[in-house]
Amino acid sequence: MTMRLLATTALAATIALPAAAQDELRFFNVFDATASALWVEPLEAFREATGVRVESESIAGSGAAVYPDVLRTAIASGSPPDVFFMWGGTIAQPFVDAGQTRDLSDLYEEFGWNDRFPPWIIDRLTQPDGSIHGVPFKARGMGLWYRKDLFEQYGMTEPTSYEELAQICETFIENGIHCASFGGQFGWHTMRLVDYFLEDTCGAETHDAINARTETWDQQCVVDAFARLRQWVDDEWLVPNFLGVTPTDSRMPMYLGNAAMVYEGGWFENALIGDGQDPGEYAFFLPPTPSGRFHAFPEQWKIPAQSTNQETAAAFLDWITDGETHMQWRAAFEGSVSAGYSPDCDAFPHACRWTEFLTSDRGTYPPTDQAFERELIDGFFEAQDGVVAGLITPEEAAAMIQRFVEEFDSPG
Amino acid sequence: MTLAETTATRPRVRRRSAAAERARRFAAIRPWLFLAPALLVYGGFLVLPMLFTLYTSFYSWDGISPLANMTWVGLENYVRAFTADTVARRAFVNNLFWTAGAVIIPTIIGLFLAIALNGVAAVNRALRTIYYAPAVLPLVAVGLIWGWMYNPNFGAVNLFLREIGLGHWAGGWLSSHTMALPATFITFVWSSVGFPMILYLAGLQTIPRELYEAARIDGASRWHCFRFITLPGLVETHVIVLSLAVINGFKVFDLIYTMTYGGPGRSTHVLGTWMYFQAFQFHNAGYGAALAWIIAAIVLVVAVPYIRRMSRS
Repeated sequence: MTMRLLATTALAATIALPAAAQDELRFFNVFDATASALWVEPLEAFREATGVRVESESIAGSGAAVYPDVLRTAIASGSPPDVFFMWGGTIAQPFVDAGQTRDLSDLYEEFGWNDRFPPWIIDRLTQPDGSIHGVPFKARGMGLWYRKDLFEQYGMTEPTSYEELAQICETFIENGIHCASFGGQFGWHTMRLVDYFLEDTCGAETHDAINARTETWDQQCVVDAFARLRQWVDDEWLVPNFLGVTPTDSRMPMYLGNAAMVYEGGWFENALIGDGQDPGEYAFFLPPTPSGRFHAFPEQWKIPAQSTNQETAAAFLDWITDGETHMQWRAAFEGSVSAGYSPDCDAFPHACRWTEFLTSDRGTYPPTDQAFERELIDGFFEAQDGVVAGLITPEEAAAMIQRFVEEFDSPG
Repeated sequence: MTLAETTATRPRVRRRSAAAERARRFAAIRPWLFLAPALLVYGGFLVLPMLFTLYTSFYSWDGISPLANMTWVGLENYVRAFTADTVARRAFVNNLFWTAGAVIIPTIIGLFLAIALNGVAAVNRALRTIYYAPAVLPLVAVGLIWGWMYNPNFGAVNLFLREIGLGHWAGGWLSSHTMALPATFITFVWSSVGFPMILYLAGLQTIPRELYEAARIDGASRWHCFRFITLPGLVETHVIVLSLAVINGFKVFDLIYTMTYGGPGRSTHVLGTWMYFQAFQFHNAGYGAALAWIIAAIVLVVAVPYIRRMSRS
């Protein structure tokens, strides 16, 4: 209680609200039940300090599949929130292109946000014209999480090359255990594995170029990546019949010991706790590539251009991205890369490792669904699912994606 | 009547006729006053959005930008749907199969359930409730439940098949490009069979029992009774059941969305889900609106004769 009082007093001193501030702020996010519970205290502290009640409206459960639709409907109906969560890249871009988000460049100046976050995240959020329409919430890295007991049982260590990873998978399947479990229903979960293969077979430069569509997709390294996907399916390194399984349900084979790994992000530590698992029994490694880069993307907050409460929203954003705020409620802000924040390494040891990676100068590559527009990534998923199902060859998949790219980039 | 009396009465007559006129006018508008709240709601929440969707279908628009950014494209969205969009064609074919199945399978099962349970015995009442219960569940909940049942790793369907020695049939029901739509359709049958059953039960009450008694005296078999009394006696019900099956077949959305999300690949899309993807996910609101009107036009072809027939009845 004393702690909370002190925090609130300190908070009141740091938040400068405009004189005409409204007393309620609508806040769209994708918090699940665990995250929503963790955010109750920070939001209450903000209310006590400022008198502004933050109404949290959560749309959780399907990742980037449904949330943008709900947000779009709210904006199109003239009833936007005052602050909303968004992923990076092309998931966010339609809202920016439609002029529905506020350029926050002036707030970066006013609040000194440029010094608050790692440069790569600010670069990812910056528009080609130099404007910036979001403020980073978290940086998310993704990797292969594994069961430590299974690795120990078969005398394995974390791989440092694709060949070593393949050897691990070979050993697991010889012992009746699938190497990894995926949920293919929305497409983006399987995509993570394909993205890794592309980074490994194409190399960093070509991978970035095909994502930017400055090089074509119908090239050998793409074919090689899809050939690997096919081989992982054929050899049952992946749990079979996964295309109709949701990503959340795909964790079950690992929990049951039928699969050794899942491809998840830093958030998986909280998910393990939520699923009644002991995070200490799991560890993760970055899928090894010659470039050393890994999957990462920023999550961000945005202010709708239509919001009538923009100055209060700005003050709220400044507060919820401040490292000092994060240190008071470290569990709620797990994954933060704000200056001044450090994760609780005793409670969240995996988060500690992720923060090290994400604040290092190690390179990152985006998930393809943040590099491709939604319509285009749907075609990518069709090619990917076709390879998994054995309906098309890796060569046909590469050619199919290139055809979708050409049709998308030059309609009509 | 004297002239004086006549003169004195005239204003009263005029007053009476004016009052009658007011009453007549009020009587004429009174139904509209009662209807006004419903008409306002209907116009505001159904007719206006439909007209706006029609208007949007002639434009290129992302659905988020201000209306001033809409670009006139004429019939281009409709032409694209019929000529260039291969997924829309596949979705239409899926709709046709779904509708054909919806017309035949739940209708036949519903009819036979109705005949089997058309009695006052307590067990019949209990079974009617059981068979109808899935029809009152939200389709989103039904889709989620059946999604788990079809899960290849821990789903009830595969576990059951393994238990009864048919483990070789166990598989990825929703993961297969060829099986996902039939598997989803089985869920639809499970959830929808109660509705035609209820309609046929109501229809069976209208067939006089004397017809069956007379037929039996004349030596008619059960099949003959069914063929020459029950089926003709249910003509009105057939019209209702089959029309609704066709209409609902083209409106299908919830089950596909929750169980397969249009996948694997895009193999299970129907026009409803593809319209949703275009309008809300791909930010092609104009094209999505055109698809919505194509669905509406198909449904109206069936719905208008159905409504006219029902109105006459």
